[in-house]
Amino acid sequence: MSKFLLLAFRNIFRNRRRTLMTLMMVGGGVVCLLLAGGYFGFMTHGLRESTINDGLGHIQIFTADHFRRDEVRVLDTGIENWRQVAASVSTGGHVRGVAPRIEFYGMVSNGTKAAGFMGSGVDPAAEKSLGFVSRVVSGRDLDAKPTGEVEALIGVGLAKSMNVKVGDGLTLLAMTSDGALNGVDVEIVGLTNSGVAAMDARSLRVTLTAAQRLLQSDRVTNLVVGLDSTDNTDKVAAELAPRLRGLPQQMELRKWIDLATYYKQVSTMFNGIFLFMGVIVFFMVLMSSVNTLLMSMFERTREIGTMLAMGTPRGWIVALFVLEATLLGVMGAVVGVVAGNLLGMLLNASGLHMPPPPGYTVAIPFKVLHIPAQMIGSSVLVIVSLALASILPAVRASRLQIAEALAHV
Amino acid sequence: MKPTDALVQVESVSRRFPLDHNYVTALDDASLRVAAGEFLAIAGPSGSGKSTLLNLIGCIDKPTSGRILVEGVDTSTLSPKRMAALRREKIGFVFQTFNLIPVFTAAENVEFPLLVQGISARERKTRVAAALESVGLGARANHRPDLMSGGERQRVAVARAIVHQPALVLADEPTANLDTHNATQLIDLMHDLNRRLGLTFIFSTHDARLLEHTDRIVRLCDGQVESDSLTAGGRHE
Repeated sequence: MSKFLLLAFRNIFRNRRRTLMTLMMVGGGVVCLLLAGGYFGFMTHGLRESTINDGLGHIQIFTADHFRRDEVRVLDTGIENWRQVAASVSTGGHVRGVAPRIEFYGMVSNGTKAAGFMGSGVDPAAEKSLGFVSRVVSGRDLDAKPTGEVEALIGVGLAKSMNVKVGDGLTLLAMTSDGALNGVDVEIVGLTNSGVAAMDARSLRVTLTAAQRLLQSDRVTNLVVGLDSTDNTDKVAAELAPRLRGLPQQMELRKWIDLATYYKQVSTMFNGIFLFMGVIVFFMVLMSSVNTLLMSMFERTREIGTMLAMGTPRGWIVALFVLEATLLGVMGAVVGVVAGNLLGMLLNASGLHMPPPPGYTVAIPFKVLHIPAQMIGSSVLVIVSLALASILPAVRASRLQIAEALAHV
Repeated sequence: MKPTDALVQVESVSRRFPLDHNYVTALDDASLRVAAGEFLAIAGPSGSGKSTLLNLIGCIDKPTSGRILVEGVDTSTLSPKRMAALRREKIGFVFQTFNLIPVFTAAENVEFPLLVQGISARERKTRVAAALESVGLGARANHRPDLMSGGERQRVAVARAIVHQPALVLADEPTANLDTHNATQLIDLMHDLNRRLGLTFIFSTHDARLLEHTDRIVRLCDGQVESDSLTAGGRHE
C-alpha cells in the first residue's frame, strides 16, 4: 500500500505548474475562510465580552414573578431581601461578585426641555469590582454619595437632545412603588457613549440609593453576577439554580446568552455569512478541480490502460485518483492554514480599523482570531471537496476500454 | 501438437469494429495454436490485424465471433474481473511505446505487477532484482525512465512483463521505437529468456530483419492468417 501511496504522491508533482495552481486555489480558499472566520470570531468574541462587561454580567437573578407577570407598579416583582440573596450567591465558586440593579423608566427635565429615559440604578462600588465599566467620554463615573446632590451619567445622545453638559442639573420624574409621582434633582457628572446611538439617546444611570429614593422602594430589579471566566457560566448556573429555588421568594436565573439578544443576532448573522462563504469555497474548489483532474486523467490515458492491461483492479484506479486528489487537498489545506495564520498575524500587527458598522459610532479594529476549529473545518471542507471532485475523473479512468486507452496518443 | 497441449488456441476468431454506420473487420476467421515455450512472431503490414490479435489473446478485448482459449480456458466467457485476474497472473505485456510509469523508478515499474498480485514486500524485492538482472539492468534499478535510453526502457518493460513468471508474454511491436541495434538486442534478449526460462513469447512486428531471429512466423494480411511457417531455428509442429 505504501507504493500505491508513493505513486499517488509522485503523480501530484508530475505537472508542477498545475499542482501549484491547484494548491494556490485550495490554499487561497482556506486562507479566505480563516481570515473571514477569524475576523468574525474576533467580532463575536469581542461583542460577547463587551456585552458582558458593559453590565450584562454572566448571570442575572430575578424573581420568578418578573417573568410571569407584568409589573402593576414599579418594582412590585423586584427582589425584596436582595442583600441576603446576594450574600448567598457570593459564596459560590468562580463568583467574583454580585451587583444589584434597578431598571426603571421616567422623564427627565431641565426646566425648558423634557425627554423620556431608560434608567439604571447601580451600586458603583459593586459595578467597579466586577469590572463593569461605563463608557464615559466626558466627565467621570458615578461615585456613591449617601446624601446631598444625586449624581447621574447620561448618554451623549440624551445630553445632546436636552442641550446639557457635565455639571448641569436635571430633574428626574418617575412613578413610585405606591403609584405616586416623585422627582429628584441630579447633577450630570459624566456623559457615556455605548457605541449604539439608540441606547445613548435614552440612557441614564444613577446610584442604587438614588433610584430607591426616587422609586420609594427597597427592592431591586435583579442581581447581576460576575464570574472569573465566561466559560464557567454553565457550571455556576447549574450550581446556583437549585439554591435559588430554596429561597423564600422564588428566584430564577438567566445566563448571559439568554439575555444577549443583539449578540445572538450578530453571531447568527456571522455564522450564516461564514457558512455561505464555506459553500462558495467548496464549490469553487470542486468545479475547478474536476477540470484539472479530468485533464490529468486524459494525459494519463495510456498509462491507465497499461495498468489495467496488467490486471490492476478497476477499483484501484478509482482509489488512485481519489487518493491523489485527497493528498492534494491535504497539501492545499496545510498551505492554506500556514498562509492564513501568517496573514492573520500580519493583519493583527498592522493596526487596521474597520469603519463603524450601521448603528455604531466607534471604529472596530481589524483583527483575526486563530481558531483551531476553523482551521480543522476549513481543511476538511477543501479535502472533501477535492475528494469529491476526483470521483468523476476516477470513474471515467476506471471505465476506460483497455485497447482504446493503449492506442491513445 | 494435441489441442489440449496448446497454451493458446485461437479458433475461427473474427473481430469487427463499428465505424459510423458500418463495420471494419480487423480480424477475419483467424485460427492459431501456440504451444508453451514457443517464440512466435506475428508479422504483417500495418492494419493487418496484428495488434487486434494480440489484444484478443491478451484478454484486453473480446472477439466478435469465435473463441480463444488460454491454458484451456475459454476467455470469451469470462467476466471482466476474471479476465483481469487472468491477465494479472498469466500474461505479461510489452508495448511499442514502453508504457512505463514515469514517476516510478525502473525497479518500481518492474515491481508493479507483483504489487497488484499482492506479493509480499520481501519477495517482491528478490524477484524485481532477479528480473532486472536477467535483462542486464541490475545497476539501473533506481533510475527513472526519463533518464534511460529507449533500449533500456524497453528492457525494463520486458523485466516488468516477466517478473511475475507469466505463462505468456505478449509484445506488440516492441522494437518499433528502437534503432536496429537495440531492436536486435531486444529480440535476442527475449529469445534468450524464452530459452532459459521456458517463457512463451508472442510478438508482433513488421520489421522483416527481426523475423530471422524467431522460431515461427505467422503472417497476417487483411485480418486473415496468410501463412504460418517455422524458421530454421524453430521447433516443428
